[in-house]
Amino acid sequence: MQTAKQWLDKIWQLPLSAPIRIMNVCGGHERSIAMAGLRDALPDSIDLIPGPGCPVCICPEQDIYQAIQLALHEDVTLVTFGDMLRVPVNVSRQNIRSLEQAKAAGADIRPIASPREAVAIARAAGGKKVVFFVAGFETTCAPVAGMLAEGIPDNLSLLMSGRLTWPAVAMLLDSAQPAFDALIAPGHVATVMGPEQWQFVVDRHGFPAAIAGFTPDSLLQAMYSVLRQHLEHKRFLDNCYTQVVKSGGNALARHLLDDTLKVVDAPWRGIGVIPASGLELQPAYAEHNARLHFPRHEEQARRFAGAMPPGCDCAKVVLGNIKPVQCRLYGEACTPRSPVGPCMVSDEGACRIWWASGIKER
Amino acid sequence: MCLAIPMQIASISGHTARCAIKGVERDASLFLLQDETVKVGDYVLIHVGYAIQIISEQQAHSTWDLLDQMPDA
Repeated sequence: MQTAKQWLDKIWQLPLSAPIRIMNVCGGHERSIAMAGLRDALPDSIDLIPGPGCPVCICPEQDIYQAIQLALHEDVTLVTFGDMLRVPVNVSRQNIRSLEQAKAAGADIRPIASPREAVAIARAAGGKKVVFFVAGFETTCAPVAGMLAEGIPDNLSLLMSGRLTWPAVAMLLDSAQPAFDALIAPGHVATVMGPEQWQFVVDRHGFPAAIAGFTPDSLLQAMYSVLRQHLEHKRFLDNCYTQVVKSGGNALARHLLDDTLKVVDAPWRGIGVIPASGLELQPAYAEHNARLHFPRHEEQARRFAGAMPPGCDCAKVVLGNIKPVQCRLYGEACTPRSPVGPCMVSDEGACRIWWASGIKER
Repeated sequence: MCLAIPMQIASISGHTARCAIKGVERDASLFLLQDETVKVGDYVLIHVGYAIQIISEQQAHSTWDLLDQMPDA
């Protein structure tokens, strides 16, 4: 196996003349790239673009609003992954704008790190209703599917905002001007779903593509691969994370996903509906579907419902159209301490990652 | 949320494995690996409390090195 330094040397030896943009679609990849300082280490002609790799960032604003209202107005305990607590919804400042604020106002909201905790909290709740608000991509939804298949208590229901990553990339590739020339595909999504899911990038769109792990050497190997594919006009899906990503992925996890969750057209915050990109409960799990068992608390004509916060460019960041530092709010009105947009809230948001890696100025 | 963490299995009871990483112990579900042969001593990749894949010791160590370098992963 070659080291990060060796891969870097090989990349520098490539006859790159024209600029090339390489998109990643995983917050974990972006984090490794930023923390290892790969942008500074690579030739200037290579532009690394963070893409739609943050499930918290694109979680529908209406779903977060509904979760807040359920926690405030229904006799429930609401559990959700910790990242979701600080994501603001679009209501005026006098109103409760996040799950964190709802919790401070007395709502029973508990951050969890695993679906197992949701089950444990429901079992200990003495019959009180527990709602598990789920935002996440395939890697997170597979454990949720496992939780459902193993059996959950009657008092546990799910508000599912699960999303699939590849349809977002397909949407970008189908657009008139994709903001990238080559793709680094997400290693842990492929671990679960199989590398084959990304074959369409090569076959249908003729874009170079490689699946990467999360260490700098794996990421650089994948970058080297897509650069060579680009230069030599040869395209193939290169699995650069073969230690973990196996053909077919985790077959049982895929099977459980199919059994418990169905693929639906679904909105992405600030972006709109992406066909066949959402995961919702299968009808067999209707009795655990929080959407069916609680009233919808949406106000008529709530301003900016479904949008990113006014003035926030998170949607453009998620689509790779701009870099975090190109947002007018970055580092000014929007910092991790007082975030405006979800990309500055989540550990997987590009803005948060760039800030944490020391990029403090626009 | 997608950065899974490698841990080594210390003991197994049903679908639950006691896993360790650098002295920290945690329970994780083996439910998604039922079709695999998973045994004490194996390294697994854990995401939100569920093992999603068996990995090699070498792969586990390279990911631990990466996690050590991150300020607040």
